[in-house]
Amino acid sequence: MNLVAFKILLHDKAKYVALVLGVSFATLLISQQSAIFHSLMHASTRDILEANQADIWVMKSSVETLDQGYPIAELSVNRVRSVPGVQWAVPYYQSTAQLRTEDGRMKLVQVIGIDDLSMVGAPQEMLIGTLDDFDQPDAIVMDIAGYTNIFPGVAPQVGAIVEIGQRRAVVVGICYIGASWSGMPRVYTRRSLGVSMARETLNPVTYVLARAASEHSPEEVAKQITKATGLKARTRAEFMDDTRTWILKYSGIAENFGITILMGVVIGVAIVGQTFYMFSVENLKQFATLKAIGINNWVILRMIMTQALFVSTIGYCLGIGAANLFFAMTSTQLSGGLRGMFMHPLIFVGSGIFIVLVTLLACVVSVRKVLTVDPAVVFRG
Amino acid sequence: MSVICKDVKMAFKTAAGSVSVLKGVDFVAPAGMLTMLVGPSGCGKTTLISLIAGLLRGASGSMQVFGHEVSSMSASMLVPYRLKNIGFIFQQYNLLAGLTASENVAVPLVASGFDWPSALAKGKALLDTLGLGAHANKLPSQLSGGQQQRVAIARALVHSPKLLLCDEPTAALDGQAGQAVMTLLRDLAVAEDRAAIVVTHDPRVYSFADRVVHMEDGLISKVESVSSQKHPVDSHSTLH
Repeated sequence: MNLVAFKILLHDKAKYVALVLGVSFATLLISQQSAIFHSLMHASTRDILEANQADIWVMKSSVETLDQGYPIAELSVNRVRSVPGVQWAVPYYQSTAQLRTEDGRMKLVQVIGIDDLSMVGAPQEMLIGTLDDFDQPDAIVMDIAGYTNIFPGVAPQVGAIVEIGQRRAVVVGICYIGASWSGMPRVYTRRSLGVSMARETLNPVTYVLARAASEHSPEEVAKQITKATGLKARTRAEFMDDTRTWILKYSGIAENFGITILMGVVIGVAIVGQTFYMFSVENLKQFATLKAIGINNWVILRMIMTQALFVSTIGYCLGIGAANLFFAMTSTQLSGGLRGMFMHPLIFVGSGIFIVLVTLLACVVSVRKVLTVDPAVVFRG
Repeated sequence: MSVICKDVKMAFKTAAGSVSVLKGVDFVAPAGMLTMLVGPSGCGKTTLISLIAGLLRGASGSMQVFGHEVSSMSASMLVPYRLKNIGFIFQQYNLLAGLTASENVAVPLVASGFDWPSALAKGKALLDTLGLGAHANKLPSQLSGGQQQRVAIARALVHSPKLLLCDEPTAALDGQAGQAVMTLLRDLAVAEDRAAIVVTHDPRVYSFADRVVHMEDGLISKVESVSSQKHPVDSHSTLH
């Protein structure tokens, strides 16, 4: 009887299209917004993601989130190195500074000072130039999104001279970095140079990046560092969690995206539920006829569930396809706020399950109406 | 073997109290005959055939349909009982709008466990018999009222039910189409092992009946036997 269910469903093409579009729109809204939310949360930990050689981040005890790093004394690096279980520890500097172009335009940039010797924390994807270029005088490497922001309409190239914190800097390389929480142009340089750009003289370290020796777990070593130095030491995963939690708590992003995703759910349930209900009510006499002929409620229920699953599957495929197309078009861009955004497989699967559940939920009301219809109604003209 | 109802009483509860619709009906529809149930609106005709069909429950008395005591069946027993034993023809045809004529005819067979291809083949063969072979792949909306009712007749007969229940089968048709449908019913529906009950208001089709049972105010008021010479069609071909 499933074929009969399909034929009944597909016969009224306008309603069928409305049902499918309702599910597609809800899928698009839910999956796209969830993926953007997830990508933003991912981007909020950008520096931790980039400095993937380090599995422990050491900082002032008052630091709650990545972008809140406070300067600490350079001596801290050696104190961390002296803790048993630490394989290596290097300084890492992060600050904001004012950039000025030759023609006098100003931009606030994020300066990331990487360890002059180890280069831990250096960009992983160089588009123009190499990491060796950091050795050149006044060398900075700029992310491509930042470069196009600072030099609009200019093809990315090395050689541009700028002033950061009243200090001369030369663009020696262009790198690709995914979107970050702040969205500011990112300037990578040797820490010694970065400190002078930000005019930080007293405490030229923001974080100490460390790696636990292979026979020790990062969690265990992080606890030892805190105990020995009084500084806050977090594993990479813990610091990412701290950062995301802080953003969720203070930024209002969870509420914002939560409302949009909830809207997707409400729209999905409303459109699909109402259309499905109307569809079932208008076909009530047909279902009553089937019941009168001798088709039991279980078969009718299966027919309606088949219709619902068919609609939700087609609608989901279209919606998730549109969402993926969106990310395919935007995430591969080298600049722009959506660069590097992606849909996590769990969102892909989760939104599918959710949409099927929403559709089934939406048709529960109409199922009740159909299952309780008196088959004797067929004799009532 | 036939349909035998004895002292059937049925009342509906309304806001104003209990309304007695059937007040002790004794009714027989013998196999091999076309029995017409006639009477004014509200006299209980539809209630009676709904009870016989097992679409309504809650009546007192006895209703035997080819050996099945319908009044003592549970709701779950009535569903397969209807599927196996009863063919329905409705005033408004009640064809499934998204299905072609042959698919509509195939539905009772598919519900009985036939696979689609063989059910469709049987449906098409029956439509050929009814002169609708050329319309087998048309949707109900592409057929005239008379053609739709003929498809409904095919659907009602395709699984060879023992009892055919027709509710005002000519009410939505013009005189000529109504006569054609009744001729078809007489030709195909009436068989030795099948009873046919037709509820109608249309006196123009009384001549197709073997028996005319008059109902009035919830009771059988008169039973008439119609002479076989009056039947427009004498030869009773059967379908199995």
